[in-house]
Formats: sequence, structure tokens, C-alpha cells
Amino acid sequence: MANDGTHGTTSADKAMSELRLMKGYRADLSSDRPPRLGLRRMLALALRTWPFMRPLLKHLIVLLVLASSGILTVLVGGVVGTDLLTNKVLVGDKLQPLQARVLFLGDDYVTTDPQLLGEGEPVPAALSEGEDDAAPPAGPALTPEQRREVRDRLVAWGIVGGVLGALLAFGGYYYSVWVWQNVNQNLRVAMVERAESLSLKYHSHAQVGDAIFRVYQDSAMIVNLIQNGIAAPLFSAYALLVALVVVAAFDPWFAAIVVATGAPMLWLASKATPRIRRRALANRTANSDLLSYMQESFAALKVVKANGAESRLFDRFGRDSERALNAAYFLRLDMVLVTLAVALLGGGVVVLGEYLMVSWAIEERQTFLGAALAALVGFAIWNYGAVTSARGRVEELAAGSRGLLGVWMRMQDLFIALERAFHLLDIEPDVVDPPHPVPFPKPIERVAWRGVEFGYDADQPVLAGVDFEASRGTTTAIVGATGTGKSTLMSLLLRLYDPVRGQVVVNDLDLRDLAVDDIRANTAIALQKNVLFADTVAANIAFGAPRHDHGSIEAAAQVACAHDFIRALPNGYDTHLGERGAKLSAGQRQRLSIARAVLRDTPILILDEPTAALDAKTEQAVLRNLAALGAERVIFLITHRLTTIRSAHQIAFLEHGRVAERGTHSDLMAMPAGRYRAFVNHSLGSDD
Amino acid sequence: MTDDVAEPSRTSAGALLREIVGSNRRFDDRLDTSPDISSREALTVMGRSLRLIAQARQLFACKFFLQLTLMVPGLLLPWLAKIVIDNALQGLPFGTTEVAYPPFMTPILNLLEGKDPLGIMATVAVIYVVMLVTIGARAGTTQANLLQGQDAATQAEDQLSAGSSAGSGLLGLAEFMVNVRLTQTLANNLRTRLFERLARLPMTALGDQRAGDSLFRVLYDVPMAPGLIFQLTFVPFFMLLSGVVNLYLLQYSYGQVAPELVLVAWLTVPAAFLITFPFSGALRRTSQNKRAAGAATTNAMEESMSSVAAVQSLGATKQERERFAARSAESFLRERYSLAVIFTCALIAGAALGVAAIYVTILITDRVIDGTMSAGDFATLMGVYYGIVIPAGYFGAYWIKLQEAIAAVRRVFFFLDYESEEDRTGGKVLTDVVEGVRFEGVTFAYPDNPPVLVDIDLELAVGEFVAIVGPTGAGKTTLAQLVPGLLAPTSGRVLIDGIDAATIDLHSLRGQVSYVFQEHFLLSESIRENLLLANPEASSEQIEEALRTAGCMEFINDLPAGIDTVLGRAGDTLSVGQQQRLSIARGLVRDTRILILDEPTAALDPVTESALVTALRTAAERRLVIVIAHRLSTIRNADRIVFLEGGRIREIGSHDDLMGDAGGAYRGFVEMQ
Repeated sequence: MANDGTHGTTSADKAMSELRLMKGYRADLSSDRPPRLGLRRMLALALRTWPFMRPLLKHLIVLLVLASSGILTVLVGGVVGTDLLTNKVLVGDKLQPLQARVLFLGDDYVTTDPQLLGEGEPVPAALSEGEDDAAPPAGPALTPEQRREVRDRLVAWGIVGGVLGALLAFGGYYYSVWVWQNVNQNLRVAMVERAESLSLKYHSHAQVGDAIFRVYQDSAMIVNLIQNGIAAPLFSAYALLVALVVVAAFDPWFAAIVVATGAPMLWLASKATPRIRRRALANRTANSDLLSYMQESFAALKVVKANGAESRLFDRFGRDSERALNAAYFLRLDMVLVTLAVALLGGGVVVLGEYLMVSWAIEERQTFLGAALAALVGFAIWNYGAVTSARGRVEELAAGSRGLLGVWMRMQDLFIALERAFHLLDIEPDVVDPPHPVPFPKPIERVAWRGVEFGYDADQPVLAGVDFEASRGTTTAIVGATGTGKSTLMSLLLRLYDPVRGQVVVNDLDLRDLAVDDIRANTAIALQKNVLFADTVAANIAFGAPRHDHGSIEAAAQVACAHDFIRALPNGYDTHLGERGAKLSAGQRQRLSIARAVLRDTPILILDEPTAALDAKTEQAVLRNLAALGAERVIFLITHRLTTIRSAHQIAFLEHGRVAERGTHSDLMAMPAGRYRAFVNHSLGSDD
Repeated sequence: MTDDVAEPSRTSAGALLREIVGSNRRFDDRLDTSPDISSREALTVMGRSLRLIAQARQLFACKFFLQLTLMVPGLLLPWLAKIVIDNALQGLPFGTTEVAYPPFMTPILNLLEGKDPLGIMATVAVIYVVMLVTIGARAGTTQANLLQGQDAATQAEDQLSAGSSAGSGLLGLAEFMVNVRLTQTLANNLRTRLFERLARLPMTALGDQRAGDSLFRVLYDVPMAPGLIFQLTFVPFFMLLSGVVNLYLLQYSYGQVAPELVLVAWLTVPAAFLITFPFSGALRRTSQNKRAAGAATTNAMEESMSSVAAVQSLGATKQERERFAARSAESFLRERYSLAVIFTCALIAGAALGVAAIYVTILITDRVIDGTMSAGDFATLMGVYYGIVIPAGYFGAYWIKLQEAIAAVRRVFFFLDYESEEDRTGGKVLTDVVEGVRFEGVTFAYPDNPPVLVDIDLELAVGEFVAIVGPTGAGKTTLAQLVPGLLAPTSGRVLIDGIDAATIDLHSLRGQVSYVFQEHFLLSESIRENLLLANPEASSEQIEEALRTAGCMEFINDLPAGIDTVLGRAGDTLSVGQQQRLSIARGLVRDTRILILDEPTAALDPVTESALVTALRTAAERRLVIVIAHRLSTIRNADRIVFLEGGRIREIGSHDDLMGDAGGAYRGFVEMQ
């Protein structure tokens, strides 16, 4: 079903062909190599979760104590309670001394027959006093009144135990959910923090949906690590071992057969493991791709609508969705096929074992250690009890190995998920803080680019040796044709990237010696893409500003000529904007962006095409307001507009990744063969 | 409507209680604002879910028959076990115990007739092996659930492909496969519908519907639907069936048992119902809220990740991280709230069941102590009791078991019902625009907002190059977006070739209009694919032509794979100006009769701009070209200029005409430049 690209999305098509889903076990694994996930890697991944569990260590220990003491209490309580109900209340045997004490009953309830104390009751050794020879039960019985008394007190204990147990069980479970959610929260937040601090170089190639999937789905597996990655396999293995020892005590040869069937199971498991890993990875990748595609679709809905490209979108969704479902299906199918093979082997051993044991019982054969243990249990020869007991263990072995294999396969998925989660944390950010950052210099004197070379890809230089500087109190216009690296130049000033060669300096301090957060706290930018968030107008203006109050927000809006239109909105500054600032015109969004940059009140202010969407009148008002702010600042303007350019103190004309010309408008216009002059003449030529 | 969209509050002692008794709280939702579900609406959700089965009838039937078949081991195995113990191991002849074999055992008993104990054992062993291979008797159950986290999203990811079989062996495998495919098919059909619906939300709703929430609904709410359907069909059916069969067998084999015990057991039905029903509203609400909170977390993450450039350049990474952390913690808290409701309900129900069990225990033990019953009868009678109580308890608590899924599925149906553009398909089909566009008394306002356009009358003809000009916020973009039906007028009409646009099939309308947005969205596919999105039939020549006209070829030639270069996320590998040129090329490649460009030249350098304007002039010979622009260099080339101000048309005319009016608004506008 994965490969027939002709599917339709109508339900009629689906209904006609739904059974085709069952056809063909097609593996599209041909090209992928199995993920490398050896035991060592799994251990390393498990250890890496420590920092996220560490803050909850106290709670994890409490949980462990709660869980183990809970299991023990249920086990002991169950055994003692069953014994009391069946043998004492229903049959009428006298009580074990400890039982009487627990039920607050006198000595007349306690058995005096020492033989009864050691008889094969399911009472744990700790509760019975002394081991004696096995003998037929004798001794006086409880009277009917005594039996009722025992029952009533047992019921009372049952109520107390039930209420406490239920409260503890639910409370404990709730508590464990809280603990694990917190562990997951720690990991999630660390991942988001890393994802958001990775340089834009990473983000331009990474998909949003992929990060969401990793943070949501992959990270969540951390909550299963201890229980399913460590505790469950250990418990299962231990239970298997115990069962095997018991079977061997009955008949070592049969135990050998059981062990022998373990060999093909292990072989199968080892063969299947790489395949399961590949499937698990394919499943997570396919579902993550679906999420990425959807995220992109929802972000681009307007364009899709305008181009009537819905059907293309839906086809792609249909394909991606099916691919994701197939990946999930084939992973599960592989797991089930492996389990099924093991289950059939195990079932075969159970049937064979039963046949052999019953036939041994019919011929009254001796059990292996039965004679040696005759003092304890009456299984010297194969009989009803021996068959039931031994068969039970064989069934445990079969179910246990099946279960262990299931745990193992789920563990592969768990570690594949953790691998994906940690992958995000493992990406080294290429913009990093120096070990001992220098504080941002105050007051600022100048900003300079010195021999700066930069390219997003090594073979595609965007900036090829930029040299120029701007000083306090000036406005610099960055001018040049589309794609000459104007925005890139400004990104370097924010340390969104670091130059490949050369340096960007503030007061002669290389930006690489400063902390990233410190730089960005001192540099404000109004972006060319007016990014707004689905929040109130006020919150959007205050975005990223450390200190602000209503007055300063309004003041910033006034500088950006945004105050009036904001006031006209239904709820003024508290109006909620839609997704990505929808419902405002482009010019309004642009002014909010400018207000945001202004509010941050930083020594460096960058406006990237600030006025492209503004009409001339608004533009000039905004620029006037900005100029009034500029005395203590270094302001950069990226723009194509002549009116804006002319008003700048200096113009840097970019061409082929270099500053081709630099100077005031009149300086540059005075150069007869100047590039800038040609640029201006071109726009004037078509202008007036 | 917006002021009560509160940020999620931090946890407080009374919050949980308020949640349970009070009404629903809101998170990010602005469309789905009253998510409380009445019991009646819950029934509707159930009914609609059931109708989804129609799309997967065959798989549904397969699953049904397989599950029915796989009840066999449950029926046979206890009796075969009895034969092994009594007749093989202990060598007792048949018919020495009082218990009567049910009729379906007769063929097997006939087969064993007259065999010695070893022979009986051998025959049973062979039967076991056959049953093992076919239906997996004594090989456990079949399932392949993956591990889940402590949140609705990861649980949904697993539920999407859930499947199991009570058996194993070949039929068990088949049931498992059918079950997984059935679950997936039901979910896939639903999520495809939901995705299409969300993609067709009208522009006026798009701003209010967050991408993260849409993702959450499609991916993590939908998977609850198959579970709900199974809870409404297979689960109760087979529970009832096995309950009836068990009762019948007990009756058949063990005769009449203590009637008061059976009565108490049946009382479980009303008791469980009365206890759990009052919790159903709270459970729905908390389940609803945990999903809304999960969606809000997705929103936060989606938004800050897709605007990461802004977040970083504004130095807001810490702020965004804290926002995500708060949302995420809130959603985990909501998960626990819903857990707390379930636990409270389970505790009370458990207490009631416990009291009943104690009563029954006392009842039977009394008789055993009195000697009217044997010790062995106790186990049998308790077996009978629980044989009734388990299905009775299930049916008594049936309603509440559905609530979690109902809460999720309602979130799906909400958007399936939301008015979308799809509802407008099926109108008149527009084949070719020859005349032009006419606005008749058009007024437009976004919901709950003052009007953006007031009483617009305007006629634009094919063959014209029209510029729409005016100060920011004048309504230029809104006016243009009315043409391809991206927006619909609040009052008045937009006519295309004399036909009311509201009656034209939307797809055919948009097939006649190319619209280039001011903000550009490119998909992270190749440049060619991005253009094919607009016109799947475009030839390579057409694509190159469009790219050349928009001034793209100069930078495309520098790209490693030329036109087939795959763009980074949202085109981020290109400069904004380059992205804008690609958007323009995408508009040009469609070759439609109406071409609208919203601020196409804002980010263009003068050389590219003049080339583009020349190209547009040429294009206007056989098209209607509408350009929204601030730049004089672009505007003055237009045949006619429509000057908008405050949502009204102030002036219409050519550049020279309008400049001739000394006190004209347009002239004032131009002189500012």
C-alpha cells in the first residue's frame, strides 16, 4: 500500500480497497542501514538520562521503596490471608501463633500441634515457627464460633488493608506519574532550550515538526527507562531462572530440553533485533516527517488557498500519512512475528512437558530431587501436585521468555527514541559563549566589521571580506541589490552566526569574546519578516524586552507611529493577534516590529527594510522619530528607498559580498563611475 | 471575546476542585471556545463515531469473525485440562465426577472413548498442538503495544496503531493484523477528513486557529476515535457474549447456586452506574482540558520554533524557553487532574464493590461453617459471583469508560463541523474570465472589528494594469483578497464577468486568479516544486520564463542544483528579497486571466523592479493585473490608479490625471515621496 501513489482520498475508494491493506508484507528497508545501537550505546544513553533524573532522586528513591514494600506487603498479606480464609475459616484448622497475634486472638486459637506448624502450608518461613517433619495433620480444630471470630477479624483486617492499600496504590501511582512527568519535563525543556539556541545555520535546514516530534514523542520514552529498560528485564530474567531451577529439581533432562529451546529463541532474537531497530527508527522518522509536513502545510495555508493547490496538499498528506501508518504497522507486525515464533516454541514445550509429566505420573516415576526434599514437599514421585507445580513453572518459562523478548523489543524502540532525543542535545551549537565572557562595553563607541568572510555553505561565500565601521550617534544605510548579503551582515552583529574569517567588533572587542545573550540584550532589530506571535499587542511589543511597563510600551508604539491604529483596535493594546499576527495589515505589523525594537532601548538598533510596507508619510514620520532617538546609538538601516537612504550619515553600498563604496549620499554621487551612483540613477530613471 | 483567554494558571489547592465542579477553562482556543459537552452531545459524538465504521466494513467484519472464532480456546481449554487431570493423570474413567460436560465437548469425548490414560494424554496432546498452531491455545495473547509516556500525545501515538488478539497462532496473527489495520484505517479516514477541513478553514478563521492546535487535533485527538468505536461495538458485545456463555456453563455444570449471591452480583450494574455517572462530566472536562493544554504546549513550541530567527535576534530564547516550560508543566498537571478524577471514582466504586464482596464472603463462609456447604464450594461460588460481577461492573461503568475518548473525538468533530470553504464548492464553474471584476457596494469587516472596507464600487477590466494605492491600513490588501474569494464581503457583491463570486465554485474561481502575497511562504521543496504548486501543468520553459521575469535566474544559476535546489525550511536559505522574487515567479507561472501582486516590489532593488514592471505591463495586454504598491516607480506605470483611504475609494484615474488635481489626495501622497 505504500507504493501505489494512485490512491484517492475519497471514502468510496477506501472502502473498495480496504482489504488490500492486508496484502503483501512489503519491507521498504532495502537501503537503510540498521541504526547502530549496541549494548554499550544503550548503556551510554541510559547514563545520559541521569542529569534529568538527578533533581528527582529523592522522589525516585521514595518511589522505589514504596513500590518494593508495596509488592512485598501484597505478597505476604495475600499468602497469609489466603491461608487464614481457606485453611482456618473454611476448614477449621487452628492458627499459627503469629497469625493469632496479628488478629489479636488468644492462645486458645493457636495450634499446639508442632506438626501442623511445619506442614506444607504456604506460610513464609518467617511466619511459621520452626520446621518439623512432614506428617498428616492432626490437632484440634476451631469451634464454629471461633471460626466466625477469625473470619470477622480477617474481614476487619481486609477492610483496613483494602482502604489503606487502595489509597496507597492510587496515591503512589499518582505520585509516580508526577515524578516521571517531571523527569520528562526536565528533558523537554533542555531540548527546547538547545533547539532554540542552535544557530540559524542549523534551523535553515531543520524542520520545525521534527523538533516537535523529538521533544514530544521521543523524549517521553525517558519515563519508561527505569521500569521497562532496567527493572522489567531484570525481574523477568530472575523469574525465568527460578522457574528453571524448580523444573530442574523435578527433572534435569526436561530442564535441559527447555534450555535447548532457548537456543533458537536467542538466535531469533539476535536476528530480529537489528530489523526491529530499523523498523523502530523508520516508524519514528515517518511519523516525524508527517508532523513536519503538516506543520509546514498549516503555515503555508494562505498560499495553498490562493493557488488552489489543496489537492496537491491532500495527496501529499495522504501519502505521508499512509507511510507513517505503514511504518507503525510493520514495526508491530515484526514484533508480533518474532513473539509468535517464540510463543509457538514455548507452547510446544508446554504441551510436550505436560505429556511427559502425565505419562511419568501414570508410571509413578520418581522425581529428581523429590526424595531429597521429601521432608518439605510430597513430590517424591510424579503425582497430581508435582505435575501441577512443575507444569506451572514450565508455563512460566514459556510466558516469561515471550515476555522478556517483548520487553527487549520495546526497549529497542525506547533507546531509538532516546537516541533521537539526545541527538538534538548533541548538536554542538556553532555559536557558543566564551568560557569567560567580557561584558558588553558601555558606552558604545563604534561597531566594525574587519575582513569578515561568511557563507552558509562553504562553497558559497555570501560575504567576501567586508570592512567598514559605524560610530555612535550615526545612522548607516546598508544598500545593495537583492541577495548581496545585507541581512547576513546584520545577523553577524547579533551573533546569529559567527564569521568564517575576520571579526565583528564593538569598541574593539571581538563579539566572540562576549556572551551571546549579552550581545542580543544590547542590540535590537526590526526584522524584514515581521514576526508576530499569537498574543496581545502589548505582549508582542514587549517580546524580548527585559523591563517594560505600559507607559514604555505606548511610548515605543508612538515612535513607530503605531499608537493610533492600536488605539482603534477593539481592545487596544490588549487586543489578541491571530496566528502569526494575522488580522493586521503588513504595514501595521511592520510598525509593531519597529516598536518592539525601540522598546528594547539598546545601544545598537538595526532596522531591516523597516519601511517597505509603509506609505511615504508614515515612513517619514517613523524615521524622524527614530532620528530623535539616535544620539547615543548606532543605527543601521537596510533599505531600497532613496528618501530613507539620503537621510543616513553614511551609506555602505554592498556588491558581490563586499562593501564596494562607502560615504555620504553626496560623496558617493560625486563619483562619476560609482556603483552607488548607477544604482541611484537607475531608480531615479524610472522614478521621475 | 478575547479578554477571558487567560494564560494557564499555576497549580493551586482549589484548582482541581474548581475544575471538577466548575465550568471549563480555556487555553489557547479562540474558535473552539465552549468545549463543555453535555451528556446529549456525548451521545451525538458516539453516534457519529459509529458511522465511521461504514468506511471500513470489510476489515470490521473480518475482525468480528476472527474474534468470535478465537473465543474457542476459552471454551475448550478448561475442559481439556480437567480431562488431563482426572482421566489421564489420575486414570479415572469418564463419568465418575458429577460435573456434566457441555455438549460441545461430545466429539472430543467420543474420540477419547475407550482409550487408556496414556492414550488419552497422547490424544489431548495432539489436540493441543493443533490448537496451538491454529489458534495459539496455551501460547498467550497477541499484541505489540509500544511504550508510552505520561502524556496524551505519546499515548495517542500508540493508540493510532493499536491492535490485539486474545489468541495467538495463525488466527491470532491474522486477528492482530486485521485489528491494527482496522484501527489505522478508521483513524486515517478521520484524520484525512480533519486535515482537509482544517486546510479549508476560511481566511477569517485562519488567524484564530493555531497551527500547533491543528497538529494536536489531527495527530493526537483522532487516534481516540477507533478506541471509542471499539468500546461501542466489540468490547460490550464480546463482554456480553462471554458473560452469557459463562453463566450458561455454570448453570449447566454446577446447577442452581445461592440466589442472593446472584442478586448481589447483578446489583453491581446499577451500583456501578450510580457511582460513576456523577463523575462523567468531570472526567470529560479534565480530559478535554488535558488535550487543550497539550495543544497549547504544541502551539508554544511550534510558534517559537518557526520564528526562531526572531526569537534569537530579539534575545528572547530564555523567555520562550520559560513559556514552553510553563505550558508543558501545565499540560502535565492537566494530565494528572484527569487521573485524579479517575482515581477518585475508582476508589469509591472499589469501596462499594469491596463491601459487596465482604457481604458475599460472610454469606458463604457462614454456610461453610454451618456445614451446609463444603470448603470446595466456596471457590466455585466466588467464581460464579465474579463471573457475574465483572461483566456487570463493566456495563454499570460503561458510560464513564467512554468519556475520555468522547472528549477527544469531540475536538475532532468540532472542526469537521466548522464552516469551511469546502462548503462553497459545487457552484458555477468559471472557465475563462473575459470581462473583468466588478465590486458592488462592498463592505468588509473582520468579525468583532470595525469595517475595513466601506461601500466600494469599482470596475476593473481584463487588459488593464491597475495599481491600488493608499496609506497603510487603508484596506488595499483586503480589497484585493476579495477577488479570489480569500475573503467574502460582509455586504455587497463581487462580480466576476457579471457572476456573483459567492456563487462560483471556489476552486474554479481561484483557478482564474493568481495572487502573490506580501509575505511569502515557500515550502521546503525544490524551487521547481514550489512553482509547480501553483501550476502543476507548467512546462520547464514556462517555469524558466516566469523565473526570468521575476529576476530569479541570476541567483538560481549560482545555486548548486539550479532550479532543482531544495530550499531550507520556509525558504530560509535564500535572502528575503530572493524569496519574494520566487513568490512572484510562482504567481507568474500560473498564466491566469487575473494576476494580483501585493507589494511585489518592496524588497526588490531598482533594476529588478523595473524589469518586473515591464513584464507586468506586457502581461496586462491580455490580463487584468492588479498591483498594490507604495513605490512610485511601480505605480506610475499603471493604466489606472485606485487611491484608497480609510476603507473608501478616494480617487481613480491615471497617474497624470490624478497629478493634475492640485488638491488631490493622490498628489499629496506622491509629493511625500
